[in-house]
Amino acid sequence: MAKSTVTGLPVSPMQLALERMGLAGEDFAEMTGALGTTPKQTIYAQGTMRLNHYTPLADSLYRVPVLIVTSLVNQPYILDLVPGQSMVEYLLQQGFDVYMIEWGSPRQEHKNLTLEDHVLDRLPRAVQAVLEHSGQKEVSLVGYCVGGLLAALYAVLHPNTAQAAPLKNFVGIATPVNADGLVSLKAWMGNDFDEEALLAEFGNVPADWVQNTLRALRPLGKVSGAMNLLNNMDNRDVVVSNLRMGKWEQDNIPFPGGVFRQMVNAFLRENRLVKGTWVFDGKKAQLSALKMPLLHLLAQEDHITPYASSSDLVALAGSKDKQEMILKGGHVGLVAGRGAQTRMWPTLNDWLAPRST
Amino acid sequence: MNPADFNKFNPTTMWRDWVAKSEQQWSEAMSTLMKDEKAGAPMNLQVSQMRMMQKQFGEMMQMALTGANLPSRGDIEGVAERLGQVQDGLAALSAEVAQLTAALHQQGAVAKAAGPSRDRKPPPKSAASKKS
Repeated sequence: MAKSTVTGLPVSPMQLALERMGLAGEDFAEMTGALGTTPKQTIYAQGTMRLNHYTPLADSLYRVPVLIVTSLVNQPYILDLVPGQSMVEYLLQQGFDVYMIEWGSPRQEHKNLTLEDHVLDRLPRAVQAVLEHSGQKEVSLVGYCVGGLLAALYAVLHPNTAQAAPLKNFVGIATPVNADGLVSLKAWMGNDFDEEALLAEFGNVPADWVQNTLRALRPLGKVSGAMNLLNNMDNRDVVVSNLRMGKWEQDNIPFPGGVFRQMVNAFLRENRLVKGTWVFDGKKAQLSALKMPLLHLLAQEDHITPYASSSDLVALAGSKDKQEMILKGGHVGLVAGRGAQTRMWPTLNDWLAPRST
Repeated sequence: MNPADFNKFNPTTMWRDWVAKSEQQWSEAMSTLMKDEKAGAPMNLQVSQMRMMQKQFGEMMQMALTGANLPSRGDIEGVAERLGQVQDGLAALSAEVAQLTAALHQQGAVAKAAGPSRDRKPPPKSAASKKS
């Protein structure tokens, strides 16, 4: 066993690495610090859902506020890890007025929550709360992953009606719309998959089940991550960044049972969204109803939302001003990796700023 | 040893580099096998069996823990449910306070600190940062 360079006593390789970084005696678990700490205030709450308003960081703001819609199965703090590694903080610094929806962790009493509850009730109320709080008549919607899908459903279900979605812009980030492109998930959750047995047993889909499914999409991803980490044990920044991402990765939240049932049947198996046959409360969800300026940001090496599952958002949208940008990186690195700061965030800012006045 | 030399000429490091770099190919190869619909049936059978085993084991453990006067997973989940309800209640209160404060500001009953103006303009294109 390796010996400590400080005490001369036997120590584990991890402790030895910490000593080499000048961090003898420091605890790995404490190195990440608190995550999601950008100052914010909850301005609306409904059940487990919170709508947070972040304290502006610029002297002046763009007129149109930004509402970020996060995924249902991951903790939202991936978009606000720590100062310097936070998309939310970056947008605030650029002069955006930022709001974010956190769906929260569903409990047994929420096992029957459906997509209708999210896109016809919770999301419209959150949008209304943003408009009232900001005093504006329009909002830009930014949706990440499944959050992008929810935002898109909301947008297309409220077109040109008395309850029209007051959307100035729509930004999807790695948003899946075509289930035929989710080949692995489609194969695993085909007709052999008994989602009802799972839901009867647990009510909601347990967080560890969600985590294992996402990991199975890239079976050796953890091994590669561990090897890279071991090879960079003398680089404190890499270690800390890796630990933060690892902490988030292990912090999945349960999938509401009712939503999961709809996602398996209507989305994965029947692919109703791109077929234009998905009906919510008597209204058809058709991507052609997306008419506002649209940007879709995609990751080149996205194993969770492959290009085949996401490219139809721009292809089928009815917007005249629409654009798709494929950036280097993976599904998570796109929004929070070290590359996000130099690639995705500035791209988002450059597109959104001139459309937010 | 200079920290910069820490990983130089280390066969273990080279092996780990190789594993990390070839991971994508290995993962893709495994994913290709697992993408087959024929893989779905045995996988789902295994998941079902695991779920049943977990259920039976959970029931056994619950009996054992109750006998030892210790809380079971179900008990802890029950506490988590109640804690979640408390958190939701606090969030609702916090939101209502924020809404009441905003209403008081609107009525002029309470002075509001001047916030940033909403007249920001994007920088000229030449000054904007370059995209990747």
